[in-house]
Amino acid sequence: MEKIFLDAREMEHPEPLQTSLFYLQTMSEAQYLYMINLRKPIPLLEIAKERGFLSFTHQDSNQIWHILLTKNSETTLEELLDV
Amino acid sequence: MFSQGGLSLEQAPPISVVLRFFVTASIFGVLLGLFLIVDSLGLASSLTSNKSVIITHTLAVGIMASFMLGALFQMLPVIAGVVIKMPTKKAMVVHLLFVIGVILQLYAFADASTPLLYFLASAYLGAGLFYALFLMLKELIKIKDHSSSSKGMILSLGSFGLAIGFGIYLLWSLGGYLDGSLFLQVKELHYSFALFGWLSLLIISVSFQVVEMFYVTPKYPTWMSKYLTLTIFTLLILKALAIFMGIETGSITAILAILFILYAGFTIHRLYLRKRPTSDATVWLWRLGMGMLIVTMLITLVNSFIEINVEIKMFSYLSFIGFALSIVFAMTYKIVPFLTWFHLSNQGYMEAPMMHDIVHPKTVKRHFYIHVAMLGSISLSIFFNIMILNMISGILVLLSFALLLYNLIYAIKKYNYTQKHTEKFEW
Repeated sequence: MEKIFLDAREMEHPEPLQTSLFYLQTMSEAQYLYMINLRKPIPLLEIAKERGFLSFTHQDSNQIWHILLTKNSETTLEELLDV
Repeated sequence: MFSQGGLSLEQAPPISVVLRFFVTASIFGVLLGLFLIVDSLGLASSLTSNKSVIITHTLAVGIMASFMLGALFQMLPVIAGVVIKMPTKKAMVVHLLFVIGVILQLYAFADASTPLLYFLASAYLGAGLFYALFLMLKELIKIKDHSSSSKGMILSLGSFGLAIGFGIYLLWSLGGYLDGSLFLQVKELHYSFALFGWLSLLIISVSFQVVEMFYVTPKYPTWMSKYLTLTIFTLLILKALAIFMGIETGSITAILAILFILYAGFTIHRLYLRKRPTSDATVWLWRLGMGMLIVTMLITLVNSFIEINVEIKMFSYLSFIGFALSIVFAMTYKIVPFLTWFHLSNQGYMEAPMMHDIVHPKTVKRHFYIHVAMLGSISLSIFFNIMILNMISGILVLLSFALLLYNLIYAIKKYNYTQKHTEKFEW
């Protein structure tokens, strides 16, 4: 699967939400969004859930959140985690 | 929108809930500017003998309370994770009672001789504001896992409730429905709880989340985010008890002033440590607001030990207004473009205007310069009471709020235009 990478750690609000929503609206089933952020983006996850996206979140030992999202229901997002 | 725990934008109220209060606040601001211009021509004195009370309440209730109510309807779901059901209908009831109440109150002050006006003002304003408080507090106290912001909001709303209660006492005393034997004490508590309690505590509570989120700054120290709002509220309660017991309150006021100075200092320092220091007028507004809070509190601190002259006291009131308005403008210019974009985008409008298309950063900068000129001009008016300076101040107040009103109407127009004329995308 093609990875769309988004490092939102130094983005000011609401740039992370704006950019990630743009990717969600335009990406295909062969792609997934890999976002890293300083906080868990609850609004994004709620929107993604409502729109039928698969999601997986993980907070690493440096307190960084890894957020993986895809339209493809066949994907196991845990396997794509990169920590 | 802002935070993490329990935060939900999906539960955010429709954009009209927020904008109706923001537009109302701007209209009261424009009216205030007009009143100041009329006053500079020497015409207001022939209309009323209560100019300063009218100006204070237009600012504190008509403008600040309007902004705060709108912001609270928006922020409670997103910052505290609580939902007010049927927000459009309930906000409309609050708004209607509130606007009628403010107009009646200002008319009562202007007329000053019709007791019924004071009673009606207290009835409408009291009903609208207590209903809003009930809607918000009812949900806030249900939260199991409080954040520093949600706790601060409860204390802020509690202070607001006390300020409204004291305000009703004052209105009934003015109308002759009460003997008003505690008028002076209650008056001091009314503005202490309104300004240091409700308004300041709300700004502090919200800042604990938004400063870090909006501007990618380090967090506030835990001791500050955890205990500051509670300490301020406790000191205000102690001050209230001391006033009723006839005990000197200078030392309590001094501690409050020191706490506010500390908070403002930490906020400026957080903003200095931004990870991406871009040129952003909303940051300038935050810095200006915090600077003005420090000025107010330094004067308050000195005044709690030595009697200072009237002009300096007036200047401290102005700097407090400068603090509150600067933060309100900074928040409005973040909230309105974001909400417009978010609601449209979430409804599936792919061509939803971006935040910069709704309110351009240059427009915010322009407003910042007008705001600074306005504060500068009013400051000079305090020390040199010259007709031309007073008129310029009035014109700048009018300009400042007219520009804000224009920006809000522009955002509403963009929102409606996008809904009517662009295609929806199902995703």
